[in-house]
Amino acid sequence: MTGTSPALAAAREADAAAASAVKAQQAAGELEGARERYAELVARHQRRASRIAYHYLRDSAEADEAVQDAFVKAYQHLASFREELPFDVWFTRILINGCLDRIKARTRRERWLLPMADSRTGGDSTAPFRERDMTERVAAGGPSPEQALLGRERREQIAAALAKLPERQRSVFVLSHVDGRTSREVSALTGLNESTVRVHLFRAIRKLRALLANDVVAATPGELKGKRRVTS
Amino acid sequence: MSLLERLGRGHLSDAQFARLWSSRQSGARLGPHLDACAGCRARFAEFETWLLGVGETMRDEADRAFPAERLAAQQAQIARRLETLERPARVIAFPKAARAVMSGHSHVRRWVTVAAAAGLIAGVGLGQVVPLRTAMFRQQATETIAHFNGPGGETRPKEQAAVSTSLRDEELLSDAYAQPKVRNLSALDDMTPHARDYIK
Repeated sequence: MTGTSPALAAAREADAAAASAVKAQQAAGELEGARERYAELVARHQRRASRIAYHYLRDSAEADEAVQDAFVKAYQHLASFREELPFDVWFTRILINGCLDRIKARTRRERWLLPMADSRTGGDSTAPFRERDMTERVAAGGPSPEQALLGRERREQIAAALAKLPERQRSVFVLSHVDGRTSREVSALTGLNESTVRVHLFRAIRKLRALLANDVVAATPGELKGKRRVTS
Repeated sequence: MSLLERLGRGHLSDAQFARLWSSRQSGARLGPHLDACAGCRARFAEFETWLLGVGETMRDEADRAFPAERLAAQQAQIARRLETLERPARVIAFPKAARAVMSGHSHVRRWVTVAAAAGLIAGVGLGQVVPLRTAMFRQQATETIAHFNGPGGETRPKEQAAVSTSLRDEELLSDAYAQPKVRNLSALDDMTPHARDYIK
């Protein structure tokens, strides 16, 4: 897990080339071309960004806004981007800061206002997508209702356990396990020391294991073979 | 890790698995115990499967919240926002007609304003000099008393006014012994117990 895979290295080279091209076009005043080129970067990092934002904020509508804000902000400040740092690390840093700002604002808001029902579960905002997703799955012969129910229960258990982790542990765990970052990259993203990242990760895993002690392992070892890291 | 475990005699706990897994992130070896103990190797494999399963479930949950259509909509929204950044905001001018209606008759408006101010000042001055309100109220009060006294009451307005304006304790007590002054109420007064019957 120390080095960078060839696929990731190639993706980062492509990112760097696209980012440089956008910067050059912005400087030359070719704004339409810059936007078109930037759309490539958006398409490449959008899903990853949405996953991170969703697990930080636990609300799909807010995560959506946070991702949009991060991309717009990155475009506006692309002139300050230095090529020696991978674009995805630089961009994820912007995204995480945005998510943390939103969490702070939400905490302040909730101190004064009554919490709105379902505002943090993301249930309402994703309901149309989920309903449609369910009908599509049934029509396409997807998992049975029992499997779907078990899967949902497992997701809820994991989300509840994750919510009990301290913020730093949760952050390190999400970046490491959802985004597939190495300890060094998590260190660059969070500003924490690399050894501190490993300590947080160890504590997060230990606590999650204790909290999910009764969790039934749904997947067999064979199912997860070759899925050690997700970089997309 | 304890000395016993280092020697390979004790089995590894979940916490130790977690430590091993975290340290393996930086390329460290798994340790001699796992090489030697088949039971712990199997448990570690199960632990690793569980951990990867957790990550997989979390990604799956996020992907359900963000299906392809939603990502496409998000991308379009980002493109729109970037386009908006480059266009300066449009300033909508205030309708000219609203101003033109008044601007042609500014001298009339000035005269109206001056006349209104003069009228106000004159009104306040007159109010200070002539006690119109006091006189009006006094007349109104007299008329009301005369109305309640009924026929013949018109002959005693001054007396009534004196009664109503000088209400002291002694007079109130003397009233308690007196007969009612209103004739229409004398029948009702006869049926009502009086203070004079009890106070000797």
